[in-house]
Amino acid sequence: MTDLPQGPASRRIDRAGLVIAFALAALAAVLVWDSRQLQTTTMYGMGPEAMPVVIAVGLGLLAIGNLIDALRGNLPPRESADPRAVWLILGGLALLIAIIGLGGGFILATSALFVTTSAAFGRRAILADSAIALVMTTLIYLAFDRLLTLSLPTGPLERLL
Amino acid sequence: MMPFYTRLFGAAVALTLAAGPALSQQLELKIMAPAAPGGGWDQTARSMQQALVAAKIARSVQVTNVAGAGGSVGIAQFVNGAKGDGNQMMVNGFVMVGALAMNKSPVTLDQVTPIARLTEEIQVIVVPANSPIKTAQDLAAALKADIAKVTFAGGSAGGVDHVMAALFAGAIGADAKKVNYIPFSGGGESLAAILGGKVTAGISGMSEYDGQIKSGKLRALGVTSEKRIAGSDIPTFKEQGIDLVLANWRSVVAPPGITPEQRKVLSDAVENMVKSDAWKDILKQKGWDDAYLGGDAFADFLKKETTRVTDVLRSVGLVKS
Amino acid sequence: METFAALAHGMAVAVQPMNLLYALIGVFLGTAVGVLPGIGPALTVALLLPVTYKLDPGGSLIMFAGIYYGGMYGGSTTAILINTPGESASMATALEGNKMAKAGRGGPALATSAIGSFVAGTIATIGLAFLAPWLVDFAVRFGPEDYFALMCVAFITVSATFGDSPVRGLTSLFIGLTLGLIGIDKLTGQARLAFGIPELLDGVEVTTLAVGLFALGEALYVASRRHHTEEKIEPVRGSLWMTREDWKRSWKPWLRGTMFGFPIGALPAGGAEIPTFLSYSTEKRLTKHPEEFGKGAIEGVAGPEAANNASAAGTLVPLLTLGLPTSATAAMMLAGFQQYGLNPGPLLFAERPDLVWGLIASLFIANVMLLVLNLPLVGLWVKLLAIPQPWLYAGILVFATMGTIAAKPSVVELSMLAAFGVLGFLMRRFDFPIAPVVVGLILGPIAESQLRRALAISLGDPIVLLQSPMSATLLGIALVALLAPFVLKGLGRFRASED
Repeated sequence: MTDLPQGPASRRIDRAGLVIAFALAALAAVLVWDSRQLQTTTMYGMGPEAMPVVIAVGLGLLAIGNLIDALRGNLPPRESADPRAVWLILGGLALLIAIIGLGGGFILATSALFVTTSAAFGRRAILADSAIALVMTTLIYLAFDRLLTLSLPTGPLERLL
Repeated sequence: MMPFYTRLFGAAVALTLAAGPALSQQLELKIMAPAAPGGGWDQTARSMQQALVAAKIARSVQVTNVAGAGGSVGIAQFVNGAKGDGNQMMVNGFVMVGALAMNKSPVTLDQVTPIARLTEEIQVIVVPANSPIKTAQDLAAALKADIAKVTFAGGSAGGVDHVMAALFAGAIGADAKKVNYIPFSGGGESLAAILGGKVTAGISGMSEYDGQIKSGKLRALGVTSEKRIAGSDIPTFKEQGIDLVLANWRSVVAPPGITPEQRKVLSDAVENMVKSDAWKDILKQKGWDDAYLGGDAFADFLKKETTRVTDVLRSVGLVKS
Repeated sequence: METFAALAHGMAVAVQPMNLLYALIGVFLGTAVGVLPGIGPALTVALLLPVTYKLDPGGSLIMFAGIYYGGMYGGSTTAILINTPGESASMATALEGNKMAKAGRGGPALATSAIGSFVAGTIATIGLAFLAPWLVDFAVRFGPEDYFALMCVAFITVSATFGDSPVRGLTSLFIGLTLGLIGIDKLTGQARLAFGIPELLDGVEVTTLAVGLFALGEALYVASRRHHTEEKIEPVRGSLWMTREDWKRSWKPWLRGTMFGFPIGALPAGGAEIPTFLSYSTEKRLTKHPEEFGKGAIEGVAGPEAANNASAAGTLVPLLTLGLPTSATAAMMLAGFQQYGLNPGPLLFAERPDLVWGLIASLFIANVMLLVLNLPLVGLWVKLLAIPQPWLYAGILVFATMGTIAAKPSVVELSMLAAFGVLGFLMRRFDFPIAPVVVGLILGPIAESQLRRALAISLGDPIVLLQSPMSATLLGIALVALLAPFVLKGLGRFRASED
């Protein structure tokens, strides 16, 4: 995320492309490493370690292919990205996971995601959005938990209902 | 939260013990099905819910699903999260024994408090109707002639069908490690492979193949019960001279660290449930066999099955010793 | 003739007013739950099955059929409107459907999907009624090697989703194949790429990946470049309904989709994903408007939707004739049947024809109800897109995560969802196609297990792949499909140089 080059790419070495090629090669290495942990218990036919190796070879070749594209500057042009918006949404997702993990319940968790996403898309009215989010998620919770008996995670707010 | 509940429950237990079963309908239970909705364990948990409430043994029962890895994820959460909670139970069964061993789970069945075995299903070996193999002894002879060429289709690796293939080979004196067992996902796929003659024989629970056996598309070579199933002419393996007795059982357990009083309340609740008409109706409707075994006898059984299954899986190389 | 009489009797039962009402309630409930991404028809049926217990067998069966169809259509609705396929089978629908929705053609996209589902469902139901016994014989003869060959054909067709660069398309596919390795190996029970995390042992859930890549990735991408162009979504541009031109371009894909969906759905391990992708790539090749593909071509919605629905009817063939539940949904239906003391299997058609034909009639009625309920709603659904962008995307994310929260509320699963969102964002940013990742995740494990099963049965001899006539034929088709573009190109050049 940190190395997004700014400005349109030109016909020179594309750093992001190099990173992609390297990541694919690393993934191939992980596959091979992991497949060596497996023991061949298969008596007949093909063992569990064959397919990872095949895929790793494919990934290795693709790493080379992507490397060539990057060196030639063949990647499609891209526009600058707004990292703030991306981080806001990711922050919202992190909040959601933390709230669910700590037992804060469905309403608080999804409301947090709603507010941060809305802010990422340029809204500044955090209070108003929070109110909307709480009402909306509470209604969703009631509809699914009560009417359809779909169990959603409960927290302090859900217990009040 | 926990100490409060425990204390509350302690009070409830005291009351229950004092007032007898009449007050036990104050029970508010949580039953975990360590699998996704729809499967065998989930159906067992939901049937218990239905029967416990219908027979007025518990006031409310909530079923939660924690799916993953043959129950490994569920039991880990159960042992760590419900410790000492006398209001919770978890459904489990034969498959979990193997799954825990194969997944090198840090949590084992030694840690839970056994309550009772509830149901079991007899296993069967079948061949297509046009197969030259007519009896279990024919199959044994084929295995002894060339073990690699006899292919078995069944459920997931390390599951009850797989264990049974290994036990069959062991019982007739063949090398269990060399059994050519081919796991399929779900009974449907393996049944197609058997009917299509792609494999030599198929292994599964009786109910899965019942329709095909009755319609004559499959021939049952033997069943794994001690005695023939009532009203059925399928011979047991035992009467054919092969020592293979096995059942796919399902049971219910409580969290570790509960008091003997709490254990008694749960055991009594389950025992009363098993005796209720609601439970009997469900068994009939679902075609499950009652295999109730409670108390220490079940604890003993669980220990023996764990040893047996782990040994078999080790012998076929699925569990590293 | 007997068949007709039985079907007519089933119909007579199904069209009683009370039963029609049950069908309508079922379709409504099914759609309501089915729109949640991550909750496919199987889980929808599982969750709502208790609701049907309270009715008499006839009413409950028909409500059940309604829930089933509603659940399926719910998945397509979100795929089209918010680029969030509710289940793997509606992923192909999202490819063109969402592009249509963004171009103000959400109405026709939803309509062609509903009508296509209806057409395919009807044809497939008739097929079920008349061809079931014959088809099942064929399906049972399909062995592991034949499935592997079918997967090879499917892999070739994936290239239709690759976009401009084969290197980037293949990269996406291999990322998907890698994800497919995660979890317990089906044949030996050993864990691959799980790194000791128990939640990973069951592998990557297709819907988690699809929702992460499609919905989350899209939201992140749109947010990141909001300062360039304010993306304007017009809910309706042109007609809300299908125009004459739309009909003309839809009917053939409907029929072709059905031809793919029904037989492959009837195969015990056929599934719904392969026919939808076969249909997508076929339509892409046959279309008279190739320039529209990737920008919202109606054929790319009509075909896969029909294939999806036809394959669902196809799974009933082995279920009713052999008692084989070949998909999660079919397994749930089996549970539903057993509730009424109905045991699907070879004896069912002989022993309980009334119930079988009642069910088939119910499916038909539920299909009609789906159309009745959803066509008037198309206008309403499309208006959802008029919600201001911040709220629209915030709502989409709440919705997208909700499916996972409901189905598997674990920190690991939600973290995976978020990670796939980031992956989807990066892939969009660097112009890697998204769909091949999901296809790789679905097809990779199936191809691997079937190949290994075939080799285990043949004791490691690869000649088994060519010995079966079905497998040899399919492999031949795959080879031709792989080489044809090159050969045609070469011929073109050859002719050009001759001139």
